[in-house]
Amino acid sequence: MSKNLLDVKNLTVEFHTGEGITRAVDNVSFTIAEGETVGLVGESGSGKSVTSLAVMGLIPNPPGKITQGEILFEGKDIVTASDSEMRALRGNDISMIFQEPMTALNPLFKVGAQICESIMLHQKVGKKEAWNKALELMHQVGIPNPKNRAHSYPHELSGGQKQRICIAMAIACSPKLLICDEPTTALDVTIQKQVLELIENLQKVHRMGVLFITHDLGVIGDIADDVLVLYKSKLVEHDNVKKIFTNATHPYTKGLLSCRPGIKHNPRRLLTVSDYVDADGNEKVVPAAALEPYEKSFEFTDAKNPVLLEINNLKTYYPIKAGFFRKTIAHVKAVDDVSFNIRRGTTYGLVGESGCGKTTLGRSILRLVEPTEGQVLYDGIDVTSLNSTDLRNLRSKMQIIFQDPYSSLNPRMTISQILTEPMEIHNIGESKKERLELAKSLVSRVDLEQNHLARYPHQFSGGQRQRIAIARALAVNPEFIICDESVSALDVSVQAQVLNLLQDLQEERNLTYIFISHDLSVVNYISDYVGVMFQGKLVEHGTAKEVYTNPRMAYTKNLLEAIPKGIPKTV
Amino acid sequence: MLQYSIRRLLYIIPVLLGVCFIVFFLFNVVATDPAAQQLGKHATASSIVELRKELGLDRSYFVQYLDIVKSAFTFDFGRSWSSHQKISDILMNKAGASLSLTIPAFIISMFLGISLSLFVAFYRGRLIDYATMLICIAMMSISYLVYIIVFQYVLAYEWGLFEVSGYESGFPAFIPYVALPILISVVTSLGPDIRFFRTIMLDEIYQDYVRTARAKGLSEKVILFKHVLRNALVPIITYIIIQLPFLILGALLLESFFDIPGLGGELLRALNSSDFPVIKAFTVLTAIAYMVFSLVTDIFYALADPRIKLQ
Amino acid sequence: MEKEYSLWADAFRRLAKNKIALVSLVIVIVYAAIALLVTFGLLADDWAQEVGPANVAPAADYLLGTDFLGRDVLKKVIYGTQVAMTVGFFSCAIAIPIGVTLGAIAGYFGGIVDDAIVWFYTTFASIPYLMMIIAIAYVMERGLKTMCIVLGVTSWVGLCRLVRGEVIKHRNRDYVQAVTALGGGHSKKIFTHILPNVFHLVIINASLRFQSAIKSEVILSYLGLGVQNVPSWGKMIDDAKQDLMQDRWWQLVGASFAMFLIVLALNILGDALRDALDPKLKGQES
Repeated sequence: MSKNLLDVKNLTVEFHTGEGITRAVDNVSFTIAEGETVGLVGESGSGKSVTSLAVMGLIPNPPGKITQGEILFEGKDIVTASDSEMRALRGNDISMIFQEPMTALNPLFKVGAQICESIMLHQKVGKKEAWNKALELMHQVGIPNPKNRAHSYPHELSGGQKQRICIAMAIACSPKLLICDEPTTALDVTIQKQVLELIENLQKVHRMGVLFITHDLGVIGDIADDVLVLYKSKLVEHDNVKKIFTNATHPYTKGLLSCRPGIKHNPRRLLTVSDYVDADGNEKVVPAAALEPYEKSFEFTDAKNPVLLEINNLKTYYPIKAGFFRKTIAHVKAVDDVSFNIRRGTTYGLVGESGCGKTTLGRSILRLVEPTEGQVLYDGIDVTSLNSTDLRNLRSKMQIIFQDPYSSLNPRMTISQILTEPMEIHNIGESKKERLELAKSLVSRVDLEQNHLARYPHQFSGGQRQRIAIARALAVNPEFIICDESVSALDVSVQAQVLNLLQDLQEERNLTYIFISHDLSVVNYISDYVGVMFQGKLVEHGTAKEVYTNPRMAYTKNLLEAIPKGIPKTV
Repeated sequence: MLQYSIRRLLYIIPVLLGVCFIVFFLFNVVATDPAAQQLGKHATASSIVELRKELGLDRSYFVQYLDIVKSAFTFDFGRSWSSHQKISDILMNKAGASLSLTIPAFIISMFLGISLSLFVAFYRGRLIDYATMLICIAMMSISYLVYIIVFQYVLAYEWGLFEVSGYESGFPAFIPYVALPILISVVTSLGPDIRFFRTIMLDEIYQDYVRTARAKGLSEKVILFKHVLRNALVPIITYIIIQLPFLILGALLLESFFDIPGLGGELLRALNSSDFPVIKAFTVLTAIAYMVFSLVTDIFYALADPRIKLQ
Repeated sequence: MEKEYSLWADAFRRLAKNKIALVSLVIVIVYAAIALLVTFGLLADDWAQEVGPANVAPAADYLLGTDFLGRDVLKKVIYGTQVAMTVGFFSCAIAIPIGVTLGAIAGYFGGIVDDAIVWFYTTFASIPYLMMIIAIAYVMERGLKTMCIVLGVTSWVGLCRLVRGEVIKHRNRDYVQAVTALGGGHSKKIFTHILPNVFHLVIINASLRFQSAIKSEVILSYLGLGVQNVPSWGKMIDDAKQDLMQDRWWQLVGASFAMFLIVLALNILGDALRDALDPKLKGQES
């Protein structure tokens, strides 16, 4: 290996707020060599982003402060460097790509000009030369027709293209070190694949060192040479990517590796970090049986699993109005002629990329969005033609769990109010006291404590909130639940816990799920049937096995191929 | 865009009808009979009837309402009850003095407001920022009238730095007379302006694109003056444009205190002499100006921010 | 063991940490107490009495001096507190119900109801605030009641617009969608879910509206549209035009300072409430 480009020694970053001091990064050391890709993995709040900002010299101060350690870039300490020295490095020798391409660009400047800005700043060239260089960079990152596109404003580009522009900006001055902070998390899986390939190619061409931050071990496997694992602000594992995947030493890493459902074989229940680490941080022994792959059965009979939900030619259109009299000139076909059936006690996975209409489909089934045409037969009752009283009564049977646990609970109600309200609406339980008892049993069922009932949502973590949302859905004893990206906002290990909970509940109560997700691995793990949506249409459906092992449509094949394999490349 | 503008322009019609209705309701329905008021205590019943007829108050409410609507669309507000001059002439005559006061005041305070808020945004979170904000709040907590009285008394009367009151038309003769009112106007508007502009700038400073700009290696100054200012200017200019119609009304209190023969003074005179046609004209005209300028604001917004597509 | 606390309790905790805000709160409470005492005739009831020679400068006997009729200026200032607080309170009490109700209805139901309410407040907003005040104050009998009504009915538009915007935002939030999915009706969604989440804005708005009403009282008094026959800060400041020429500054200073203190306190309190109650800042912390 070549010489060290970046040498981080005993880095400690603290945040001083009115509430106290939190140590975001605790005594972390690592190196990155020229041309090497180092992956930095950890859950939200583990300190991975703070580490990257420290290397950029962008820790917001106050409240953040590097209290210990040094960051040597080519032998020079960044921590003690002056503002102007840091500015000369940033965007020039060290540059960074951020997670959210949607907001990372200034909305009022043309993208070409935004690329030019760093070229002109660091290379001291004229406007014209910089513009030509920018066009060349745009070509390099795969933007078609750069001459025209350079004059676009950020909002005129797609998410993937915006991220390409950010990459062009980052590599404009041929940096020696590129920091990528979850650059593909906000992107669809097929776009993610393209962007990852782009970063890999550019790294080879420019011989850059890359620090790649992600929560997704699958992505790390595809791209990294070395992997750092951060857990509770500390570096718990640092090794070659192959070794990490085959022979992780720290229990947290092991847990992280096994809690993510794979595309092929999965155990009956997903293992979680808490299966490997106990509350005190000691390692637990995982029984071999728990790791054994489980073969799902896809045999369903009308006797045991009769059709519960029948969706016939469902259409949800939004009018596009234009012209002086606001006449409807066309429609956005969010859901376009979709038909399928769901059997009782099974899970129907609905996958597709953002904007394909899967969320609208889910909401149209529940009539949270009014469908334009078609039928939704629930146990023989046509939901689309119910009047509002009947619909409200039926709602106790059909529930939904949303994606974002932060916005799906009313922040000004206690958990017990949140859980008893649906019971009041549907006259479940005789008295207040009885409803409270029911609420108690619900929180226990979703593995929360009974004394949590008096608390408010902001006192819980994302995973706990999602459990509360599940408990609220269960409060009315539903038969059918739509899970709309219900685990997407959660960390992988929490995700596994929630998936396990959903599985258990299904078995206990013979629940029927529609599981909407952009994450094909999760859908594969949890679903019996799978439907693939594209531009409002259901382009493919069948049992999970059929769709995943033998996709008929090219679109599905593309999707499946784009999933990060999580298998380390050969070093 | 053109279609949008036309539609918005047409939207003025229902709003203007509403404004006319409010004016009609207040002055023709609720107000005490102006005829009786004008003629005083000793008026005979017949003279009141006569004057009511002369003023058109004997007609049905509906006709009186239509009258106001008609004047709003033709800009013909009739004649003043007290001076019997045509109202449009009065407005023309008085507008110059008002604008000679309000336009410079407006420009100076905007310029100062934006520069000072940039300054405090740059030093955000530091002592100078807190101190400035505290001064702004303190300045906002003093009555407008107190500023006028004290400034006039101390700066003009005691120290003789400015003319105490009066006006001469024509440039540059008016300058000595409007200088102090302009100063007062600027001082009183700085507090709220700086606070508002600073909030907008701080909103922008915490946006992701600013982080990207920092990652490029740009200096804080360039980030503030180029990236942040450009984005903050959109809402700031919007706020400025929407204030413009109120300039037309003139600085009512300033004009009366400094004897500047402008629109504000005229309005006060009309108030004191129950000159309803003049008050109605002012109300309707400022409402029209407000609506036109809010349309201008929307169009400006769309031009300045490429994300916004008017439909 | 972490204790349970609501967002309101949480906000109060932050507010309590802010010493200047607490002082401001105390000032507001003291002013309110004075206003109540005056209302029940327990304080400054004898403001109209001649207590000494006319136009005496502040001294031990008359802390704020006397006016041209030999009345105690301090008592007039105290009486003026009652006028100011009444104007502030009732203008809020009128504006807030109108603004919140119309804003919530427009934002929640949308469609033609929204169009109508938007038209209604656009019409109101089109007439410059001062014109509107003058016009209404002009046609009604002058006095305290009119002033409260005038300031109330001219200041609901801003709040209405604010509430409407917030309600539109919340209407589409998942937690409200969840209530729909659970079978909750409109009133449940509006009253138990959306409004409690918008209410903090109303409180912030009220503190600012209160102080702006107090400031408007001065302007109205100058225009001769204010209270009649009783003292108010506005009338005292207005009188000061003549006083100053004779080097009599105490009426002006007394009334201005009394007003400065309460307006400043309300302004600071408004800012502190915004910091404490606005959930946006909450997100930044975590």
